Amino acid sequence: MADLYLHDWRGWTPHRVADGELRLDTRDKPAGTAVPSMLRRRLNLIGRAVCDMLSDLDPDADSVVLHASRHGDGERTLEMLYGLNEGEPLSPARFGLSVHNAIAGVYSIASGNRRSQQAIAASGGEWAALIAETRGYLADTHSSVVVVFSDQPVPRRFAAYAPESHSAAVALRIGHGPTPDARRLSETSVTMKTPTLQPLDIIDWLMDKRADVACPISHRGWQLANVRP
Amino acid sequence: MATTALEHELKEMIIETLELEDVTPDDIDPEEPLFVDGLGLDSIDALELGLALQKRYGITLESEAESSRQHFANLRSLAALVESRRQK
Repeated sequence: MADLYLHDWRGWTPHRVADGELRLDTRDKPAGTAVPSMLRRRLNLIGRAVCDMLSDLDPDADSVVLHASRHGDGERTLEMLYGLNEGEPLSPARFGLSVHNAIAGVYSIASGNRRSQQAIAASGGEWAALIAETRGYLADTHSSVVVVFSDQPVPRRFAAYAPESHSAAVALRIGHGPTPDARRLSETSVTMKTPTLQPLDIIDWLMDKRADVACPISHRGWQLANVRP
Repeated sequence: MATTALEHELKEMIIETLELEDVTPDDIDPEEPLFVDGLGLDSIDALELGLALQKRYGITLESEAESSRQHFANLRSLAALVESRRQK
């Protein structure tokens, strides 16, 4: 399978120390300045972080954007369902922002990006799905795409049914050719049983705190290597 | 022109309901348009505001009616609507 190249990345999580890594934002509340305040007010913390990261990685607003999240905005969605069950009227704004492609949609409106925006949920196979989709777009004339992987803790009353997770988002520009500071992203087959990949795992991997990442569902693993010695 | 107590109450309701994080009550001019120009609210805000009026004052608006557009023109017209049709 052809290697991919990681051109650049950005991350957000309050659950890690940046340790001088400027590409990682560790503030509790991301600024969200890439989006005008009248749009920003409707975004949750993940949404603010993702829009800021996309603005950095897609400054010309001309990239295909793939956004994967296992649970999306579970808090907002489930609270609406409980409200409906009790006969409460739905908040139109909250309903509009509860859909899985809401963040990509807000980014598209704010930036004017009219390329494909794709939202993915894959039952724990989000990272593998992002890479598979990336290969598809790269094979279809695009020289690079921007992928985003984000998640937040599952609402408390459902927490027992999902692995523990922390709020984190990571965005990567991936292409099929190297750039001066790119790192080679190679993919291999793995058989070892590993925990489900979460955005925080990808951030640790990008910061060289782990050597590789693997998806137990797709049986695929990924490694990063510097292109230049 | 001075702001009435009801207008001030509506300003706070608008800011809270629509999560206008960078707006204070003083920023809302009672005579300025609430939508597009002026405060810059959009169609989702109109629905959200309609819901808030229903919850807080028991006022139900017909979404297609031209009168709704007039009621939502600015804060002053909204206050007049609440004054004349509030149930609670």
